[in-house]
Amino acid sequence: MNGRPRNLARPARSAGPSAAWLYLAPWLAGFVLFLLVPGAMSAYYAFTDYSLLEPPVWIGAANFAELWRDPLFWKAVRNTAYYAAASVALGSVLALAVAVLLESHVRGRGVARAVIFLPTLVPLVAAALAWSLMYNPEAGLVNRALALVGVRGPNWLGEARWAMPALILMGLWNIGTAMVVYSAALRDVPRALYEAAEIDGVSRLGRLWHVSIPCVSPAILFNVMISIIWSLQVFGAPQIMTEGGPDHATYVYQLSIYENAFRYGRMGYASAMAWLQLLATLGIAGLTLALSRRLVHYRAA
Amino acid sequence: MGRVPAGTSNPVTRRVAIGTLGAGALAWAAWPRQPREHARAPRGRKILHYWEKWTGVEAVSLQRVIDVFNQAQNRLWVVLVPISDISSKAMVAIGGGDPPDVCGLFSYSVPLYAEAGAAMPLDEFPREDWCGEEGYLPNVWKLLTHEGRPWAGVNTCYTLGLYVNRAHLREAGLSESPPRTIGELDAAADALTRTDARGRIDRAGFLPNLPLWWPYSWGVLFDGRLYDRATGRATADDPCNIRALEWVATYPKRFGREAAGAFAQTFSRSTHSPQDPFISGRASMIVQGPWLANFIRAHNPGLDYAAAPVPLADGLPEPDVPRGLVEADVLIIPRNCRDPEASWEFLRFMQRREVQEQLAQAHCKSSPMRDVSPGFFAAHPGRVVGVFDAVARSPRSDALPPTRVWPQYADLLGGAFEAAWRGADVAAALRDVQSRAQRLIDESAALRARRAARGGVP
Repeated sequence: MNGRPRNLARPARSAGPSAAWLYLAPWLAGFVLFLLVPGAMSAYYAFTDYSLLEPPVWIGAANFAELWRDPLFWKAVRNTAYYAAASVALGSVLALAVAVLLESHVRGRGVARAVIFLPTLVPLVAAALAWSLMYNPEAGLVNRALALVGVRGPNWLGEARWAMPALILMGLWNIGTAMVVYSAALRDVPRALYEAAEIDGVSRLGRLWHVSIPCVSPAILFNVMISIIWSLQVFGAPQIMTEGGPDHATYVYQLSIYENAFRYGRMGYASAMAWLQLLATLGIAGLTLALSRRLVHYRAA
Repeated sequence: MGRVPAGTSNPVTRRVAIGTLGAGALAWAAWPRQPREHARAPRGRKILHYWEKWTGVEAVSLQRVIDVFNQAQNRLWVVLVPISDISSKAMVAIGGGDPPDVCGLFSYSVPLYAEAGAAMPLDEFPREDWCGEEGYLPNVWKLLTHEGRPWAGVNTCYTLGLYVNRAHLREAGLSESPPRTIGELDAAADALTRTDARGRIDRAGFLPNLPLWWPYSWGVLFDGRLYDRATGRATADDPCNIRALEWVATYPKRFGREAAGAFAQTFSRSTHSPQDPFISGRASMIVQGPWLANFIRAHNPGLDYAAAPVPLADGLPEPDVPRGLVEADVLIIPRNCRDPEASWEFLRFMQRREVQEQLAQAHCKSSPMRDVSPGFFAAHPGRVVGVFDAVARSPRSDALPPTRVWPQYADLLGGAFEAAWRGADVAAALRDVQSRAQRLIDESAALRARRAARGGVP
């Protein structure tokens, strides 16, 4: 590089609002075409009977009334809540624990970090198929490993009580992204705080509880929020591995939306479900943010 | 890093601009003007896009048929487009106004596409060179029509039958002939099933959940019907259907719900492969479609097997007349396709007896046509095809219920099957299915009436 730094000596010339709109135009076009308009249309379809193949017929709130009395809708709500609660809680704790472990001075932590992050690069379909084979009750790796320690493994994907835990367990395979966020946050904790705690005689566990976790609480909030949103939208793994079975034990909300929209040709009903999900997600996110005010600590810049 | 010319804030230099334009022009020049498959079409042919769900050997045989059509005339060129999950994609494409020229669907889609006006009724086209009702098996014709009008052409059909491993039957000291009654089937299942010391099923004699593809079909064994065509009502809680699921429920009781479930789950991803439960000899008897013979030929040609119509409950009238539910793959001409006459010309070609026989032989199925050519069975590679042909032709066989809510109805019946499997009250489960399925049918009819009142498709 040579010469003086660009644009530093000369005051920046304001390009005016028209240039700003010009730069925003590609995003705005995408937002309007692929989000705003389809969103508005689906809001309308939620109050219609619409099969994609026929013009929609206005039926008022009938879709919502039907949802209220549809046992499969409630089953999907319960299953999704179960999946989200378990996978968010377990995933967050495990990712934080692994990050803390890898930020301590253990040998081979670089390799371990890479190995833990790798699964996030595996396409979902490939991962789901691989896990289906691993969960095979007779020849699967999971049950063979359990057999080595004398435990008779269950029929993971074929038994109603085990299918959802199997999916949650598989989800934990993908903690790599959260772990990286926690690792970055942990490195950002001022050393002086640890030193001060050490001088005060705080144990290692105490330092983790009273120093690390409060300092990384914004990262925890971020990861929890993202996990909630993603887990409420879980679709690929149950669709590929169990198709919602057995006995609807893994019939999650998105699967229900997909089946109604594209298998049963009930786009209006599916739109009503989608809007309820959006509102529920917004509500849960808002509640999480409200709770976080007391639990999340932001350091002054 | 390049220097920014003094006196200007424009970071785009002439070199960058010319380079970008040049790269753009090069990309434009190199960009293919037409899809690769169109390039193979002789000049001057009108190209038809035909969406079909088949892959593998089934798609290869279909392509052979299409090649014959493409060579036989000089006006059209059909391009086969393999589509997975075709039901949903066809719905989106046709609903979105960009349909293929011909679309291969499942027969259960016909009522929906007919009522929605998304397919063109075939009686709108000139009848010449098309066999019409007289050409098809009666049950196949039922699947192609809705409310008296034909909406689709056939593209092979199938029913289910019972395959038995004769070596296993011999080994167990049983007759080599497949069981004819439910009692015989149960006895053979007991004799053939082997479990290991831990109670796991090592070899299944017979399990109704293997594979769990047609959970709605067991009523057939007891003469149960799922739908009354005369009244347009669901009949899920027909006493025969209740008896059928009560019989299904005896299997988890006899062989252990967990053991039977684990055994079936083990093969959930290996059907039709060398590890298929029947092909690999892990299941002695299985209810499957005619195509299984094709996979046996490919993966275990030495397997000593036989097939028969599904066994029937004791005491049914005409016990020697086979029963089954006939299903079919169908071809429709989507409404708003580019050239319906051209699509019709291809669809009509596909309805020729020799074309359907060629496909049936390649797929190891029976012919969907009323008359078969003299050499059809002799040249057929499936040695049990006669069984499936007899079931498809049987006056006691039926076609799938002609209602647009069949996918939901079938899923509800699948739920009842699972309820029976876990030991729930079968009659209550089927009564629940009945009430929910009938509500779906009634609501669908009411909405259709509202659409018609607004000037839509009646």
